[in-house]
Amino acid sequence: MEASQLVQNLLNGLAIGSVYAIFALGYTLVFSILGIINFAHGAVFTLGAYFTYTLVVGQFENNGLLKGVNLFPDGSPFSGQPLTFALATLLGAVGAGLVAVLIERLAFRPMRSRGADPLLALVSSLGVALVIVNLIQLLVGAEIYNFPSDAYGETPPALSFTLGGNVVILRTVQVIIFAVSLVMLTVLGFVIGRTKIGKALRAVAENPGTASLLGISVDRFIVITFFLSGFVGGLAGTLVGTAFGVAGPYFGVSYGLKGLAVIVLGGLGSIPGAVLGGLVIGLAEAFVPADYSAYKDAVAFALLFAILLVRPQGLLGRSAIQKV
Amino acid sequence: MIRTTLPRLLSAALLLTLGLAQAQKVDTISIGVAVAQTSNTALLGQEQVIGAKFAEKYLNARGGINGTPFKLVFQDTGGDEAGAINAFQNLITKDRVLGIVGPTLSQQAFASDPIAERAKVPVLGPSNTAKGIPQIGNFVARVSAPVAVVAPNAVKQALKLDPKIKDVAVLYAQNDAFSTSETGTFQETVKAQGLTLSTVQKFQTTDTDFTTQVTAVLNAKVDLVIISGLAADGGNLVKQLRQLGYKGLIIGGNGLNTSNMFPVCQKLCDGVIIAQAYSPNQGSAANQVFVKEYTAQYKKAPPQFAAQAYAGVQVMVEALKAIDRKKKLTTWDVDDLRIELNKQILLGKYNTPLGLISFDKEGEVIQKEFYVAQIRMKDAKNGSFVYLK
Repeated sequence: MEASQLVQNLLNGLAIGSVYAIFALGYTLVFSILGIINFAHGAVFTLGAYFTYTLVVGQFENNGLLKGVNLFPDGSPFSGQPLTFALATLLGAVGAGLVAVLIERLAFRPMRSRGADPLLALVSSLGVALVIVNLIQLLVGAEIYNFPSDAYGETPPALSFTLGGNVVILRTVQVIIFAVSLVMLTVLGFVIGRTKIGKALRAVAENPGTASLLGISVDRFIVITFFLSGFVGGLAGTLVGTAFGVAGPYFGVSYGLKGLAVIVLGGLGSIPGAVLGGLVIGLAEAFVPADYSAYKDAVAFALLFAILLVRPQGLLGRSAIQKV
Repeated sequence: MIRTTLPRLLSAALLLTLGLAQAQKVDTISIGVAVAQTSNTALLGQEQVIGAKFAEKYLNARGGINGTPFKLVFQDTGGDEAGAINAFQNLITKDRVLGIVGPTLSQQAFASDPIAERAKVPVLGPSNTAKGIPQIGNFVARVSAPVAVVAPNAVKQALKLDPKIKDVAVLYAQNDAFSTSETGTFQETVKAQGLTLSTVQKFQTTDTDFTTQVTAVLNAKVDLVIISGLAADGGNLVKQLRQLGYKGLIIGGNGLNTSNMFPVCQKLCDGVIIAQAYSPNQGSAANQVFVKEYTAQYKKAPPQFAAQAYAGVQVMVEALKAIDRKKKLTTWDVDDLRIELNKQILLGKYNTPLGLISFDKEGEVIQKEFYVAQIRMKDAKNGSFVYLK
């Protein structure tokens, strides 16, 4: 492999890996507290992108019930005050966080209160995901929407140089996604490791019964977890949308399976593991030769399988200690 | 009580079953439309739904089947083979339609058309352009011209625009039967025109990040890029090629022949060459009426997928009209009418928005006029396919 190819693959791998990582952060948050997989996370990710698009553009002109409806006749949700893309991104993420809270109320809490098998909650979240995705299509159609060209997805490449006669490129939006995923990792690490909320969350994760006896409102902290998970998922949705377009109502679903692989590889419930897992899978995919890039999913899952044979607990997961 | 009731219930059920198994007379004139209304493929299916509904409204307003209105029954196929099979089975056994227009993808047609073939229900593919579709069976035909006929025109047109083209990159979605079929035609055309096929790159219709493929194309230093995919992935690929510095000509296959691509690559769609089996500029009276009415209702020129779905419904309706003139449709048994409809479809000549079309004995469409268009973007959202002579 030529040096240029090697460098390009490394950059591509880190870029796509950071997309997987930021997607998987929200996934792993819920798992670390509740011990269940929230399959609606892909739909929340999609919603984040659609919320941001709505705030920025305010109109879906192609299809669906909202076709041609101008949601903000004076050009902005805040009575004419222009909305920066960064603020719209944050508000979109907050909206996604609130939807995640609603999902918790509708799909998870009723199951939990009845002591249902975690598998039922997983299936229930899958149902919610399908409802959300189809609802999006009903409202705005299946078309792809792109953020305006002044959003940072359209900026020139951050890095472009020639190595051994071949061009090596890194897109600006990929750098942004990579940076945001590292910032989110740091922030979440700080919140969970160093704050009172984090302590309470860890207590709930360890033993909800005992946490409740200690005066911690378990339901409230589960809601906080879902909000954080949805916020990160929605933020990821917008970032990926700026890079590749909001590729229709189903665009988050394809990340769902990959996100699952990422958190298993990184170690279930490990936040740094989610980031590491994302980067490892991204790099594995990037090093699949271009002519065989259609097989990159198979390569990623084969790698997952191989690593789990050696480390069943994942790269940064801890083996369960059984007291005898 | 139970002893006396149970045998009666059983015999009643048996009689009912036997009654249902007997031949049914035609009650309502129903035509099935099985296209993708959900999944990523809905991007194309939505246009087909609009085209088919438009045909239903327009043709019924002009008398339907010799004065009797017909009804379209829609079933969503989703984007995969299982969805198409399920939709076909519902239309055939539950809705008892006389014929089916669908499915959206060639990939789906290879799975679902044999179901219709076994049930002896005529199928008209509205957008199945892969090699081998009419050969699935006697009851399968298509109004969508095969890629082998349409695709070479685009390469020839690109060479007219830039005679210096020498090196070509071909990219295609390898998980889609239509794209793999189309790319074969493109690659043969490239070689036949004496051009060098510098690199062949594969991707999936579900992909969003094409950095790997784009950098390979850039490093191959080609003069022309040919893409066979669908609107979402194809549009994204065009966008990323342009964003990362590719400046040469781009040809898009049939999957990119939709205005749904405009929001994807926005201004960067400008200049993409598309070979078309339909053009709003086609001068026939049937097309001009269709374009006028469609534009008045939807505020844009009709896309190819809408026009082909319209043509599919129109062919079914005109064939049913011809049968009705010989023997009233309501006097037929459904199964017999389906067989007769299949025969009649292949016999007729139809003035559709696609121009004058007919079918050979295998069900392959015979169409004379094809077009090459170039996308011209007015701004980030609005563009049009400009017909190239």
